[in-house]
Amino acid sequence: MIHADVVVVGAGLSGLTAAIALAEAGATVQVFATGHAATHWSGGGLDIAGLPGVATPRAGLERLSRIAGHPCAILAADVPAALAWLQATVSPEGLTYLGDLDTPIQAVPTAIGGTRRAAILPAAQASAHNAWAPDERLVICGLAGFKDFWPAAIATSLRRPEVWGEGGRPGRVDAVTVELPGLAERHNLDALVLARRFDEPAWRDAALDAIARAVDAGGGARGPGRIALPAVLGLDDHATVLEAARRRLPLEPFEVPLVPPSVPGVRLFQALRAALRRNGGRIQLGAAVIRVDVERDRVVAVATAAAVREFRVRTDALVLATGGIAGGGLIAHADGRIEESVLDLPVDAPSVEHWLNRDPFEPAGHPLEAAGLRTDDELRPVRLGSHEALFENVRIVGSLLAGQRYLRERCGDGVAFTSGWRAAASLRPTEPVALVGPASGRHEGGHR
Amino acid sequence: MMPGPIDVLVIGGGATGAGLLRDLARRGLHCLLVEKSDMGAGTSGRYHGLLHSGARYVAKDPLAARECMMENRVLRRIAPGCIEDTAGYFVATPDDPDDYADAFLAACSASDVPAEEVPVAQLLQREPALNRAIRRAFRVPDAALEPWQLIHANLADARARGSAAWAYHRVVAIERLDGHLLSVNVVDVRTGSVTRLAVGFIVAAAGAWAGQIAALAGVDLAMSPGKGTMLIYDQRMTDTVINRCHQPGDGDIMVPLHTVAILGTTEIHVDDPDDYEITREEVAGLVAEGAKLFPDLPRMRILRAYAGVRPLYQETGTPTGDDGRAISRAHAVIDHGARDGVDNLVSIVGGKVTTYRLMAEQTANVVSRKLGVSEPCTTADDILPGQELGHTYWLGHRLAEHEQAGGGDADLVCECEFVTRSMLDGFLDANWPCSLDDVRRGTRLGMGPCQGGFCAFRVAGIVAERIANGDGTPAAEGGQDTAALVDQALTDFIRERFKGSRPIASGRQLQELWMVSGIYSGVLGIDSLPPAQPPHLEGEESSRDPR
Repeated sequence: MIHADVVVVGAGLSGLTAAIALAEAGATVQVFATGHAATHWSGGGLDIAGLPGVATPRAGLERLSRIAGHPCAILAADVPAALAWLQATVSPEGLTYLGDLDTPIQAVPTAIGGTRRAAILPAAQASAHNAWAPDERLVICGLAGFKDFWPAAIATSLRRPEVWGEGGRPGRVDAVTVELPGLAERHNLDALVLARRFDEPAWRDAALDAIARAVDAGGGARGPGRIALPAVLGLDDHATVLEAARRRLPLEPFEVPLVPPSVPGVRLFQALRAALRRNGGRIQLGAAVIRVDVERDRVVAVATAAAVREFRVRTDALVLATGGIAGGGLIAHADGRIEESVLDLPVDAPSVEHWLNRDPFEPAGHPLEAAGLRTDDELRPVRLGSHEALFENVRIVGSLLAGQRYLRERCGDGVAFTSGWRAAASLRPTEPVALVGPASGRHEGGHR
Repeated sequence: MMPGPIDVLVIGGGATGAGLLRDLARRGLHCLLVEKSDMGAGTSGRYHGLLHSGARYVAKDPLAARECMMENRVLRRIAPGCIEDTAGYFVATPDDPDDYADAFLAACSASDVPAEEVPVAQLLQREPALNRAIRRAFRVPDAALEPWQLIHANLADARARGSAAWAYHRVVAIERLDGHLLSVNVVDVRTGSVTRLAVGFIVAAAGAWAGQIAALAGVDLAMSPGKGTMLIYDQRMTDTVINRCHQPGDGDIMVPLHTVAILGTTEIHVDDPDDYEITREEVAGLVAEGAKLFPDLPRMRILRAYAGVRPLYQETGTPTGDDGRAISRAHAVIDHGARDGVDNLVSIVGGKVTTYRLMAEQTANVVSRKLGVSEPCTTADDILPGQELGHTYWLGHRLAEHEQAGGGDADLVCECEFVTRSMLDGFLDANWPCSLDDVRRGTRLGMGPCQGGFCAFRVAGIVAERIANGDGTPAAEGGQDTAALVDQALTDFIRERFKGSRPIASGRQLQELWMVSGIYSGVLGIDSLPPAQPPHLEGEESSRDPR
């Protein structure tokens, strides 16, 4: 039977962070996941603590770390080191993240003409974050035939000062729509198709020239300005595309993230997966955990359904990075029961009548967002209301952790990569574990 | 706009009002219909989609049963494009009394409802998701009926004969001099502008809201609105209508409609037809009852819950407690001349979508008699406009059309329901200004599993683009207003969809809701959009009740 020092379940930001950090430290790591995670519908930035009213991620983190039961109360001190490590980890894969804990949180435009608060962004989005000069122009550039980015709607909305909040904003917002070469006959263009076309050098150059001409025709490079483009500037060869865009366009470009499939999120996933493989880790998607074997307070093996048979891996440790309700790590049943999908661990959650607010836009967010697992400081799952670890060699990471309101607090990425990093640090001095005996207990995994 | 004097003002744009407008127009009267929201946004658009055979009523309300079957035959002839001829079955589960099934065929026969017993094994072969423990099965001519197309076809016929229909116009005052109504003030709820209409005659076809209209005319009409909650499943677990063979109760009917199936219903008295809530307990009760028909129901995915308010009425006005099923489903034409001394007001109350045409005919007969018009009713004679193709739309048609268009503007705006850019543009051309909810009723956009998560902002973007390009008439002047209008359309739509998601939120559908919230808050920054002020584009309900 195959053995891995650590099995990680879940291939989002938290699981891959844990897996890479462990593989770097020399552990053999196997990642199993049912499919792609929140990376594929996130904006691609790293939100650490962008809650309303705070000026920097550090100030936000300070505030979150004082909330009893918030993951940041455990993790805050590790965030700077984990962030620096993550930036260094994805950078060799061509994905540069700019900003740190002291970067001001600013409003950056979104694909419906709103703004979101961000500080740490991939290079392709980062220039949206620079301060606006009073006479500066923002050109919203749409691509004809692409249905997830409507420049006139975005520009109309962004002309309203109140959308930008307290910070600066451009002096003028314009909209242009560009016909890109060879797309007139194509329909149902999605972001991934466009991103892959931008990876092709000849098409890319022609497309960038078409964009440059359209921007010139609409008032061009006279005076300072920036171009907002849908986030489709290359997938596998993104760094080259971004460099070419900067060189060929008359104004500084930045990408605006879109509805799924999110190209910036896919880039982050691919960079993390490459970093894992570079360090010798293995990853398998489409592999749902069907059973976990347990001896006393230790997980000793994980079984997945692979093609026609069960695939079982013996392991010394398990990192659960299955996500919250959106990711499928928690399953909210109609009768109000909330089930943790792999080990059936106890879930701290509001009672069913308090799951959701009446107003979907209630600023405080829905109480159910905070549902999750409670852990000790080493991220081991505990019995609710106690500090007694249920499994000595299991670590809980990411949005499975209770107490975060990630929509309002904009803390999900920081919690994810810091908990992954912390879990790796806590498991790193691998204790020698004897491969002994038959399993003394079995958990039928419901992970799906 | 409406030239000339108005012979009859019809209040209410549901199936009955639309049918009445058509009927009166065909008798040569010059009429106007006003609806406070979108056409079919009230009870007609909020039912389970059943074209009754009448078999549900044979035991308790034989007259209603007989009328249903008569009208079932008529609608198959005049509105074939709104009907999917699914057929229907009444099945006796182990929970249903033997004597009801024993008496069922005779009761159907007495009300002229064609019914025959079929071998259970034969039905189970056709509908394998059904409870294997079913003991008896009876086939009846139930079918699925799409309400919005039906309403618009009736309005189109009336318009072709010189009458008019205004959506988003609410009656705010009725001027009365002694026993006669002189004029009506209607407000355009989108702009706030008020129009005074001199009217010869008024018919309140306002359903559960008929009491409110009567009150404006100084007449007391006590309605007993009954809330019926329904659940929409993400699949057709049955291709035929399935009813429990018992006294009609909660959660005992499943109707396949387009891409989904609808489980109905509850029956709960409400005081105000605009103020009600769907609870998780109601949903759980419906699922538990529905599971007696389809045992796997608790594991199937519910897309949404919704409720309609039945226009129930009892002349005695005696309180009926919570058991609205004790009140007849039959309708009543109320002549307020004899009853209340107002000589030019009639209300039509009660009834159901299946009998809308008959209700309209009987109402029009009363109106005609009072106006001295001798033209007979002709609404059962001719096929409705746009129904000539004679088959229901199904998703496959859209795919075929999409492939045939082969390019051009065949882009899919709503992937779940196959709404293309050209369909959307066509709808906006014909109906602008309108809300995203109107687009949904007109095209089924946003009715699939993502509940508008991926298409609502596209429509908002397309609308803004049309205004910027001068393709559409802006409902408001100036860019600021356009942005506010688009925001409002988007947030209203999401609010309205959320309202239906909240009581059913669990499992996969909650996961989807969570993902869509994550995208709208995290990636699209919807909370940064400034809250807009009314008047604005929206359905009536969401303005009153953000739940």
